Amino acid sequence: MWYRYLVNQWKMVNHKMDNLFDVIVVGSGVIGSSVAYHLSESKKHEVLLIDKGFPLSGTSGSTQAWVWVHSKTPSWYGELSMLSAELYPFLEKKIGDVEYKRTGGIAPFFNEAERESALRLAEKQAEVGIEIEVLNREEVLEKEPSLSPEIAGATFSKIDGNVNPFRLVELYVKAARKNGVHCSFYNPVNDIEKSGDIFQVKTQKGSFRSKKIVLAGGPWSKELGKMLGMDMPVKQVRGQILVTEPLQPFLKYTIGGIRQADNGEVLIGYSKEEVGYDRRSTLDVMQQTARMAIDFIPALSKANIVRCFSGIRVMPEDGFPILDEVPGMEGAYVIAMHSGITLSPLIGTLMTELLTEGETSINLSRFSLERFNGIQSR
Amino acid sequence: METDILVIGGGPAGMSAAITADRAGARVILVDESFSLGGQLRQQTQHFAPLPGSEEKVRGTALGNDLIKKLEASKVKILKKHIMIGSYRNENIGVTDGEKTFAIQSQKNIIAPGAAEKAKIFPGWTIPGVMTAGAAQILINRERVLPGKNAVMLGSNDYSLEVARQLKACGVTIKAIVEDKEQMISSDMELLHDMKNVPVYLNSTIESATGKEELNKVVVKTPAGLYEMEADLICIANGFDPIIEPFEIMGCNLAYHKELGGWLPEYNVYFQTSNPSCYIAGNAAGITTIGPVLLTGEIAAIGALEELGFMEQEEAEAQRKELWKELAEIEKRENEKTFRARSELIEGFHQKIGMAFPEEFNMVNGGAHNG
Amino acid sequence: MDKSTIVCRCEEINIDEIETAIKNGAETFDDIKRLTRCGMGPCQSKTCFYPVNEIIAEYTGMPLNEVSLPRLRMPLKMVRMSTLAQDSEGSNVVSVFGESVEDGES
Ligand SMILES: Cc1cc2nc3c(=O)[nH]c(=O)nc-3n(C[C@H](O)[C@H](O)[C@H](O)COP(=O)(O)OP(=O)(O)OC[C@H]3O[C@@H](n4cnc5c(N)ncnc54)[C@H](O)[C@@H]3O)c2cc1C
Ligand SMILES: Cc1cc2nc3c(=O)[nH]c(=O)nc-3n(C[C@H](O)[C@H](O)[C@H](O)COP(=O)(O)OP(=O)(O)OC[C@H]3O[C@@H](n4cnc5c(N)ncnc54)[C@H](O)[C@@H]3O)c2cc1C
Ligand code: FES
Repeated sequence: MWYRYLVNQWKMVNHKMDNLFDVIVVGSGVIGSSVAYHLSESKKHEVLLIDKGFPLSGTSGSTQAWVWVHSKTPSWYGELSMLSAELYPFLEKKIGDVEYKRTGGIAPFFNEAERESALRLAEKQAEVGIEIEVLNREEVLEKEPSLSPEIAGATFSKIDGNVNPFRLVELYVKAARKNGVHCSFYNPVNDIEKSGDIFQVKTQKGSFRSKKIVLAGGPWSKELGKMLGMDMPVKQVRGQILVTEPLQPFLKYTIGGIRQADNGEVLIGYSKEEVGYDRRSTLDVMQQTARMAIDFIPALSKANIVRCFSGIRVMPEDGFPILDEVPGMEGAYVIAMHSGITLSPLIGTLMTELLTEGETSINLSRFSLERFNGIQSR
Repeated sequence: METDILVIGGGPAGMSAAITADRAGARVILVDESFSLGGQLRQQTQHFAPLPGSEEKVRGTALGNDLIKKLEASKVKILKKHIMIGSYRNENIGVTDGEKTFAIQSQKNIIAPGAAEKAKIFPGWTIPGVMTAGAAQILINRERVLPGKNAVMLGSNDYSLEVARQLKACGVTIKAIVEDKEQMISSDMELLHDMKNVPVYLNSTIESATGKEELNKVVVKTPAGLYEMEADLICIANGFDPIIEPFEIMGCNLAYHKELGGWLPEYNVYFQTSNPSCYIAGNAAGITTIGPVLLTGEIAAIGALEELGFMEQEEAEAQRKELWKELAEIEKRENEKTFRARSELIEGFHQKIGMAFPEEFNMVNGGAHNG
Repeated sequence: MDKSTIVCRCEEINIDEIETAIKNGAETFDDIKRLTRCGMGPCQSKTCFYPVNEIIAEYTGMPLNEVSLPRLRMPLKMVRMSTLAQDSEGSNVVSVFGESVEDGES
């Protein structure tokens, strides 16, 4: 019976005004969902959000989900992250409880030599308004007594925190739908064509037309880019995360590589491997990660590991976000970035400004495709 | 740690594979998570027949002990209380003994983790006193603990009736057998006879199971209305499903075959999965009876031995032919549908990978379709 | 059956919650898992996988063999952190701080 409900819903999308939308967003991860939601806020645009799976089946469903700021460098990137983090409390008022917690963040270091860089970081970030304290061992242990006495110190900032990525994306989509966004899930986009000013988006479940398109394909950005005849300058970088059984709450802060979720589970991970789109876990990395967890927090040695998951980061070649119109193809935009959880409120806002007003409150030249060489357009 | 053949699972299938491999001169390591070998045979006090090469009935526990003796007399390196928890990037299997985690480097793996009992949900299925039939059997035969005094059996397959009989022998009252199908699943005359005084509710389900801290009331929904009864034990016998996690970890393709228990790895006539280094045996390769379980272990071992050069092709073919013949005979006799589903799975996989059928299989397989 | 009947005993997720996820468009075990936590408990969906897939099949009209499997994850059995760490080759500890200075990672 619900099947029929879904079919009806589907017909609704299919029968809409000869299938012409103002904007089609491809990809319903945290980035695409945020763009769709922010676009829908004015309720002025007909928006269609398409995903080949269900929201969260990509990277946004397998992430650490810190909203992390203070150690992001250079400082313009730190500033960007801070601006986004500052949007979270407002976002929560609009879309509902995404379990955002500004816990404060601790990034430990293990030797004295690193203290120098820590001080330099604090100085640089202060210029853009990010407040960082450089703590010595005693100060760190006072804040977070479970940390290893082996650490030499840490940088600390109040601005860092974390969020529940499942709630975040779910509520972006829910709010977007409420504002009239059409959704088509379990529906891969196979090709995109442009004739005149109109884009034809060919999907498994039929063709849709739109005036503008936004590609937010996460780790599949390269494939989607190819449909527009461009080579997206992104890499796929696997990360593996260990999850413990629920433990009594004992971590107050968000710590480098480690955080404790609301239900008591501790998530640990800091691996990077370029192995393509392979979401398997390996014992090699799991063992190293366990080692690292104990080095950071000795008490974790007694915790049981319940599961492990892997996610594929979409990593622009220089590590910084891409948000740009495709050269030579007016109305087609691509967005891809690492740290999309942190950045999604801001990115959704900027993209909406760009699509509806043609200009943005923050200069986007740093996010341009131009900065990479050898991008070919059709 | 390094070996020619690594066997995961020390149930009848794994033990039979390990014994076969050792006999041909391969170095074998057998890993099992329990403190004793035997797998699910350890609590099977009932008699089994037919076994390969014999029509004589043997007690499950005795059969297990017999295999363990053979194994202990062999050169097989036995690692009890070791669990396979995953695999490394180079596909080596990783095991843990509770103290440390390490890789076992092997040429071939034979994976025989057995099957798990399928859950069945109804209001109250999570309260203490509700358990699988297997759990109840382990309690009476291994732990020597009585799980309750008044039992309701949910499901009427052979296994349900067997456990009901064993519970009865321990003094437990069987209040009812509840079956949602139109008729009893079991057709075993002996078991049915033993249950002849027990009320059977067909086309029925458990409406609710309640109790303060432990189960004390069961409401059964029947076509004639609701029946309430006092009971402190519900045994769920909803069948078994093959354990697939270790195969998924090793990257083996899975397929769905209802008659074999649900999802399970695809494999060819050599019981080799889509990952050429992994063979499969026992209930993991399709829920069946003990005779075929033992035979699949042998066939898998022969495949691995042949590929590693421990057995000449001719010899392997001859042995395989005999084993397949026996497997077909027993399985067709005991459960024709299982054998047909197994043949379909194998045929489908051969077609998919474009692998020719060896002659010996054409014979047994053709036999399955023709009768 | 009563909609408050538990399906996933580890995470205490009932039929109603699973049906709501399906109403919202989820068609696979993993998608329901991300919405409800069903299957994320200590048994790692070994118990609830078939019951959940049966509900999906019933509601969407898909045959059981087309309802996709949950992604099965390591470790196959719960394992202690120290047990996992023991025998691992070296430690790869990097302070996040050190890394992030290089490439703006989080
Ligand atoms: C291990 C790990 C830890 C991380 N930790 C953090 C962190 O702590 N903080 C932080 O901010 N970020 C973190 N990240 C990064 C963050 O998770 C990602 O930047 C973010 O999830 C990317 O979101 P996305 O929407 O771009 O991609 P995705 O979530 O992958 O979404 C892309 C969507 O596009 C769809 N799609 C692709 N191709 C097609 C097609 N042809 N047709 C239709 N749909 C298509 C996919 O199905 C998918 O749903 C981490 C990442 C990993 C892997
Ligand atoms: C509860 C139960 C009751 C049964 N009752 C009957 C019956 O009444 N009649 C009948 O004909 N058949 C019965 N069977 C089936 C019969 O026991 C099987 O035919 C036979 O035991 C299957 O043998 P096997 O070797 O395939 O699996 P098993 O006997 O289950 O052996 C598998 C072994 O693998 C080990 N193992 C699994 N995973 C791992 C891992 N990750 N690492 C290390 N070791 C692992 C287990 O500890 C176990 O010892 C029952 C099965 C079960 C599960
Ligand atoms: S019953 Fe669902 S995770 Fe255990």
